[in-house]
Amino acid sequence: MFRVILYGQWKWSRLIVVVGTIAAFALPIISVQGATGGDASPLHAQELLRAVQSWGTLYPVLAATLGLLVAIATWAADHRGRHVHALTLPVPRWRYVLLRFGAGTTLLAAPILAVLVGALLATATATIPSGLQGYPVALALRFAVAVLVAFAIFFAISAGTARTAGIILGTMAALVVVQVLASLANIPINLVDVLQLVVLNWPGPLAVFTGRWMLVDV
Amino acid sequence: MSHAIEISGLKYRAGSFELKDVDLHVPTGSIYGFLGPNGSGKTTTMRLVLGLLRPLGGRISVLGDRMPEDAPRILARVGYVPEQPHLDATLTVRELMTFQAAFYPTWDRAFAEDLVKRFELDDHRVFGRLSKGQKAKLMILLALAQRGDLLVLDEPTDGLDPVVRRDILTALLEYVAERKATIFISSHLVHELERFCDWVAVMDDGRLVTEVPMEKLKLGTKRLVVSGAPATPGATPFVILSRDPAPPNGASERWIVGQWEPAMSSYFQGVGASLVDVIDLDLEDGFVELLRSFRTSRG
Repeated sequence: MFRVILYGQWKWSRLIVVVGTIAAFALPIISVQGATGGDASPLHAQELLRAVQSWGTLYPVLAATLGLLVAIATWAADHRGRHVHALTLPVPRWRYVLLRFGAGTTLLAAPILAVLVGALLATATATIPSGLQGYPVALALRFAVAVLVAFAIFFAISAGTARTAGIILGTMAALVVVQVLASLANIPINLVDVLQLVVLNWPGPLAVFTGRWMLVDV
Repeated sequence: MSHAIEISGLKYRAGSFELKDVDLHVPTGSIYGFLGPNGSGKTTTMRLVLGLLRPLGGRISVLGDRMPEDAPRILARVGYVPEQPHLDATLTVRELMTFQAAFYPTWDRAFAEDLVKRFELDDHRVFGRLSKGQKAKLMILLALAQRGDLLVLDEPTDGLDPVVRRDILTALLEYVAERKATIFISSHLVHELERFCDWVAVMDDGRLVTEVPMEKLKLGTKRLVVSGAPATPGATPFVILSRDPAPPNGASERWIVGQWEPAMSSYFQGVGASLVDVIDLDLEDGFVELLRSFRTSRG
């Protein structure tokens, strides 16, 4: 069962996965390209850290994009068929959802591995100034967690109906409206800040996306 | 008599549409035709039978198990062909067969290959690029090769040319003859159902109008030409579905009746009338008259 589900999902999302894998492989290599052939001076170390930090902002973007696109592709065929085929298969619904989730996760292993390989290659071939160190495995692990968190969230959202999407968007809109009204009424609450703290700060679900994504650091 | 599908007191509501206390009994091994105008509740009933929708009340039993509680066990023995193509348009015929085979332990590979040849399907063509007839054939192929005990077919030949229709119906009849399976089929093509169904049910506006053996409906629904009919017929041994008012020139009037049997002609002698002629009706006429009578009785 898993094999045929995986094959179907591969067929729909192979372009996303291939492009994402190439980008995931290239990103760590490009981010330390300034270090190749460079010296080990403190000046060079600063330049390298700046470059790594600058390129590092793309990892969470890539992770979120991959999670989003693969999640959408995961349910696209079922949505088109109004889920009739899936719901008439002789498997419990929870199991079908797990099969789809497992297949999506398996496909996302390719870009995660690409980051690991790219990062290992980049740190092995670059001249890293003294005092600095490469963290290829830590970066790849963090990327893996970010991809899987993004995939899980978008998988859950895109599994729902248009009504579910409406409820989510409506809740967000209501939050904004409440915030605007509170500001107009000079009520000292900042819902956006509170939400940001809850969601983006550890142990918030999106904390992995924040902070510095450094392949090379002190 | 055992029943492949047994429905009692089924209730369902979606927006302004409502199924009201539907009772249905599909005998095991029968070909059961499900008739009704558009929006009468045929597709909704079928979806409830398959557990695609949750009923608000009532009881559904399919192949001896409760739906939706035992859905996976039931669905392993049921082949379904929906009204609209529901398969992944990006997969080829071969890939869809492989997909289906992975979910059904009873999948008959040799039979599937045989049907691919018989239906002249190009197994490398993606589903989205098949013609309407080829899509219908593939959906029938997938339903049959599962080797289920029950086939639920929602207008499977709707909009298809006669050749494709015949191919599909022949395959279905052969399957039933070989497997002693049950077919629960809805269709707008009344004449098609008339040819091969042995039971028929009629739905209208979310209610079951009737559920009878096909022979009984066909043989029992007649147009009677009656002379000297009484203004109020009183208690009749048959069901009067409709009665054309007597023409002013004194000619005979026409009654459409159900549950007719030849011995009932004595009724007319008893009320001082005479039965001039008994005319057979085909299923379509019977169906139309049944609906007309049902709607009149509901006001």
